[in-house]
Amino acid sequence: MIFVRALQNSSIAKLLAVVVLSLGLGTAVAACGSGSDSSSSSSSSNGGTEGGSITISQTSQPDFLDPALSYTVNGWEPMWLVYTPLLTYPHVEGTTGGEVTPGLAEDLPTVSNGGKTYELKLRDGLKYADGQPVVASDFSHTIKRVLNLESGGSFFFENIVGADEYLKAGDPNGEIKGIKTNDKTGEITIDLVGADASFSNILATNFAGLVPGDTPFKNQTENPPSGVGAYTITKSVPNREFVMEKSPNFASFNIPDIPTGHVDKITTKIIKNANQQAQDVLSNKLDYMQDPPPADLKPTVKAQAGDRYGETTTGSTYYFFMNTRVAPFDDAKVREAVNYGIDKPGLARIFAGELAPGCSFLPPGMPGYNEAFDTTDCPYGDPSQPPDLEKAKQLLKEAGADGTKLTVWGNNDDPSDKVTEAYADMLNQIGFDAKPKIIDGGVYFQTIGNQSTKAQTGFANWFQDFPHPLNFSFLVDGDSIQDTNNQNFGNVDNKQLNEEINKLTLETDLPAVADRWEAWDESLVSPPNSYIAPYGHRKLATFVSDRINFDAIVFHPLYNNDYSTFELK
Amino acid sequence: MSEKNDLRLSGTADKPVSDLEAFAEPPAVTVEGSGGQSPWRLAARRLRKRRFALFMGAVFVLLVLVMAAAPLWAEHVAHTSPNENHLSDQIDVGGEKINVVGLDGVPIGPTWRGEFFLGADGNGRDVAVRLLYGGRNSLIIGLSAALITLLLGLTTGLLAGYFRGWTDSFLSRIMDILWAFPVILLGIALGTSLALGGLKLGPVSISGGSLAIPIFVIAIVYIPYLARPIRGEVLSLREKEFVEAARAQGMGPFRLIHSEILPNVVSTGLVFFPLLVANAILLEAALSFLGAGVQPPEPSWGTMIDEGVARIVTAPALAIVPGMMIVITVLSLNVFGEAVRDALDPRAKVRIEH
Repeated sequence: MIFVRALQNSSIAKLLAVVVLSLGLGTAVAACGSGSDSSSSSSSSNGGTEGGSITISQTSQPDFLDPALSYTVNGWEPMWLVYTPLLTYPHVEGTTGGEVTPGLAEDLPTVSNGGKTYELKLRDGLKYADGQPVVASDFSHTIKRVLNLESGGSFFFENIVGADEYLKAGDPNGEIKGIKTNDKTGEITIDLVGADASFSNILATNFAGLVPGDTPFKNQTENPPSGVGAYTITKSVPNREFVMEKSPNFASFNIPDIPTGHVDKITTKIIKNANQQAQDVLSNKLDYMQDPPPADLKPTVKAQAGDRYGETTTGSTYYFFMNTRVAPFDDAKVREAVNYGIDKPGLARIFAGELAPGCSFLPPGMPGYNEAFDTTDCPYGDPSQPPDLEKAKQLLKEAGADGTKLTVWGNNDDPSDKVTEAYADMLNQIGFDAKPKIIDGGVYFQTIGNQSTKAQTGFANWFQDFPHPLNFSFLVDGDSIQDTNNQNFGNVDNKQLNEEINKLTLETDLPAVADRWEAWDESLVSPPNSYIAPYGHRKLATFVSDRINFDAIVFHPLYNNDYSTFELK
Repeated sequence: MSEKNDLRLSGTADKPVSDLEAFAEPPAVTVEGSGGQSPWRLAARRLRKRRFALFMGAVFVLLVLVMAAAPLWAEHVAHTSPNENHLSDQIDVGGEKINVVGLDGVPIGPTWRGEFFLGADGNGRDVAVRLLYGGRNSLIIGLSAALITLLLGLTTGLLAGYFRGWTDSFLSRIMDILWAFPVILLGIALGTSLALGGLKLGPVSISGGSLAIPIFVIAIVYIPYLARPIRGEVLSLREKEFVEAARAQGMGPFRLIHSEILPNVVSTGLVFFPLLVANAILLEAALSFLGAGVQPPEPSWGTMIDEGVARIVTAPALAIVPGMMIVITVLSLNVFGEAVRDALDPRAKVRIEH
């Protein structure tokens, strides 16, 4: 998943405006907020207060405030509460939070035809926030918008029968043969071209959040469509703010596992200056900042507000790719040497501690993740300990690759640039002659994903789109290698691993095959394959004002901080 | 008043130098009207009176010497190289083991001793060592770029001004195109594209990370700032009697440019030089700060400031120290350069305005 973390400095004028605005809001909240909050509120089950309003911030505007298009944390975190798909996830932490549960569908899908047909039924009496009834054909319209708008998520749905033909026909209102809906009964049937065990997860992505059947086939960021969720977006001024208010009718639907939220109104302000955001949260002028506080202010935040600051490991993996089609990484011994030579605790310091050193490609919380393998049982030594440089040097010598010139690729987004420089230095320490090549983040992945670049090794990361190993395995699947826009940067192509992916793609009972995914992960990373060099999993922060009940906040494994659990003290 | 008596090394259009009448090599010229002193000696006498400027000149020389000694400091005092990371290392400070980079990513501050004299950056690299190597890179780029600008600017100005016609039109339009872009934007455009793909000109191939890239970029963007005033001077000089006399004696155009016109414009180039160096250092710092100059892991004061800005609260020295170095270097060059200009041509108003 594309992860937006642009920490940009605003101009002084903007900064002043934000400060003045924040001061004004803070004063307003302090002056009248408490009065109105207390008069209209009641106690929550966590001891907090129901109702009231909060002001939070993001550093950059979400890419889109349209579920068909948004593909960033900035967009997904708020929109998860606005657009509920047929299937969704429980609003709880840990692995349970990653288990698919019925959303607007009555139940989990009935899968038949060898995993190629999914049957679901809409709950009765559902209405959008604007009062329109939800009908089954809205699902078809929702998927058409994703495909027709050339969304980043369209490839998830191209496995539906007729999706290709729909796209080729170019008629937005055309039919997708593989989606059959019945508005009277609420029944929805989806036929797939090929079985895909992760399709339930795909149906639970934000892209599949239902929107009314008359939603135009264009970006609706300035006028977000109605959805079915705890909140609805009532105002959107791109690059300034957007407002979410409690949906008037959502509580009456009584959908299990989906909370109705505590605060009445959430105003998200776009504030470019992350330092300013952190200062404002510290002084309670803002209630939450979506980006982590800047590393430079973290000591202050921890010292002054340690009781309302926390870090949680996300479903992400940071790794170095090694191009198996290019020397010297076509030699497994060289790849093994690199794995031995990486100073993972050192790299964690570049992330200001916001990286859990690890060894596994599959991230924590993902079925198939093995905590022991990721830590103490890592074949290259405990990732929290210094690297085995002697072993790395010895392996490199045995491979006859010491002194080999390397270009180490990275991009100029923080912390990729620093990580890449550190990685190049680590490679030099074990005997390479490595130089970093840092290019613009906007073109980085296209550049290294182009076979003509012949990128030898470099920075890569992946944040899960959904908690299914298939959302990671395609990054190292030989069948996914392309000449351009290749995401298998290392051109990993192992017959056994590929076959196992193909077999596991058919297995819909994920818990039953978790151990096979575990074995696959270990085989990918361990000698003699050593295809990639994972070094950790990103932690993200929860940092809120003193007004918020910090203990009640849920950090969801996929959607991060769950605003529906935000409540005033 | 004869041309001979009015001779000035500054070689303004009104007061030209002619080797037919006066000198072939500027230092050998003796001018009656200047108290029997050569223009160079006269300029030196004027310069000697500018004590502060001389002091700043000495500061610049000192800086050059200190930066040249970077490898000695790195090897014998700091015991590290500019690009060596010490992310997980600890050092002994006052009997206490301290992380070079803390678990929360905060680097060690100045130790005021050999290792990590000015502290470390976020990658655990010795800031003092990087400052010296960064300064060396900045000076190499500044001096080299200014030399290339001087060479190409003089050549372009001489050719355009002397030959006029299509040569002038062609060269002047190229200069106009270069001048039409703001220096920083042109620098970023050239710097980022060349940093990615490197430069290949026939048999010459320069990799994207080479220092030659920012040298080339900075040299190119400043050429019009020198070439245009030179062209103006040459346009005027070529109509002077001493040039016509030389031409009448059968002197070819290139020999005429070399022996008659060049000596009259070379002092303008000399006056420009220290100012060009100062501007080149500033531009290099700006481009490196923006990622279009010196490429990682090579240090430069600009990249060091860029890295330091993110740590301005916990490690202010990371940004402040290289910033101070830029200020001192550019100030010393500008003050000294202004004095050189006044000494060589008190009436000149040489400025590089962006």
